[in-house]
Amino acid sequence: MSSNDPLELIDQYLDRVRVYLPLDSEDTIVELQTHLIEEAERIGGGTMTAGSAMMAIERMGDPKSVAHEYAGSGEKVGPVPAEYVSPVSRMLVVLAGVALALIVGASMIGVTLSEVFGANIQNWPFSIPVMILINLAIIFVIIGGISLLDRSKPLTEKTVLESFFGIGVEGFKPKGRVEALGDLVMGILWGLILMVPFAVPLYTVAFRAVAIYVVVFLFLGAIRGLLFFIGGENNFNLAVEGILSVVWIAIAVVLINVGWPLQYAYVYDGGAWTTFDLVEFFQTHSIPFIPFDWIWAFVMFVTIAIAVWRIIVSSMKITMHLRAGRGIWWQGNWGKRRRLKRPFWKRIIGDQFPELTGSTYHDGYKEPDESQ
Amino acid sequence: MSKKTQEELDRWSKEVKRGAVTLAILALLSKRRAYGYEAVKLLDEKMSFLALEQGTVYPLLRRLEKRELLLSEWDYEDPTKPKKYYAVTEEGLKALGAMTQTWSVLSREMRDVIMEVE
Repeated sequence: MSSNDPLELIDQYLDRVRVYLPLDSEDTIVELQTHLIEEAERIGGGTMTAGSAMMAIERMGDPKSVAHEYAGSGEKVGPVPAEYVSPVSRMLVVLAGVALALIVGASMIGVTLSEVFGANIQNWPFSIPVMILINLAIIFVIIGGISLLDRSKPLTEKTVLESFFGIGVEGFKPKGRVEALGDLVMGILWGLILMVPFAVPLYTVAFRAVAIYVVVFLFLGAIRGLLFFIGGENNFNLAVEGILSVVWIAIAVVLINVGWPLQYAYVYDGGAWTTFDLVEFFQTHSIPFIPFDWIWAFVMFVTIAIAVWRIIVSSMKITMHLRAGRGIWWQGNWGKRRRLKRPFWKRIIGDQFPELTGSTYHDGYKEPDESQ
Repeated sequence: MSKKTQEELDRWSKEVKRGAVTLAILALLSKRRAYGYEAVKLLDEKMSFLALEQGTVYPLLRRLEKRELLLSEWDYEDPTKPKKYYAVTEEGLKALGAMTQTWSVLSREMRDVIMEVE
């Protein structure tokens, strides 16, 4: 459903363009965004309205063609048309990356692939090409079907195919400044929490021996957050992120063997706080400690999978930036990665674009009735 | 004008524009730096024959930057509209000088040839 907010319309349109652009195209997106805003303002006689934004968007044209014209969407690769090379390759990278992250995460917590999929794979390895061909045929049928659904959609609305091709676009976006600030604050906060004298007695003996390494890692994570907050995404910060992810995997190997880190919990016992031995409670009541081990294994699995994904993305981006002739440190582009949509608090406090409240604008554009 | 003549004119115009647009952009940006939208509008105002669309100007700006004839710098003064300013490099100025000279020779010679025909 199309929005009435001109900035949101532009944002939605650029999301469609982004699907067809190569990974390192944030500059292009920001350039197009400025172009659309200025063009919409010009059409609206100095004021941007939903109508003028739609006209600017329509003048710019089909997102696929725009991506192809502005940045070149690459060359035709095998059966893949030129404009689909970027989204298809990005999607393949994402699928391979996610698969790798999950496999590494699973194998590190001791789960093998045969346990997940069962050990009954027939005709190995000849079943692989057969399965690929069958899946490709299914994909072509699905794409053909969903393309029919996309015929009458407005320029600002993502087609089903684009939503599918857009998988992974988010995963490659640079870290936002708020997210970086979150890393900084949470790194310091959790580091301090793990160190406070009230928390330490709760740890198992095994975790107490390694807790200091986790604390150091959390503080290093905070420094990474600070670096991203100051410099945005650049090769130095990406390298720090990649190295820290490798370090985390190494720490995680130890933590998996350490197991659930809390042996005690605080309980309020008639006017005083005392410690309660969780492990002993489970053992004396013959309750298996498995749920906690599962929770710990799940936490480790998720963090390892994220670390592997970060290593993949960091190394890809560093290579990409080096190929583009960028050095080690520069002012990265988090600043350009803001959402055009108005934040929630602004929507609550007041409307920046009061002219949007009407349904007909001075440039003659009439808003479609969204209730229909 | 017949359809065939129009087609021929379109094809020829396209070829002429292809060569002229680089010179036009370099000449424009040698006087003052400009960001993408500004360059599109300036070219639109000054060059009716070229009738350049944004889809032509932006990729060309990027190509010229890649070839080190232009350099760019982001301006975040207005955070809602970051602007990528393009300016001509030393190498770009040299190329512009050479292109302008060649263009002058070409247009003079073309004028002479056309006058002979007329």
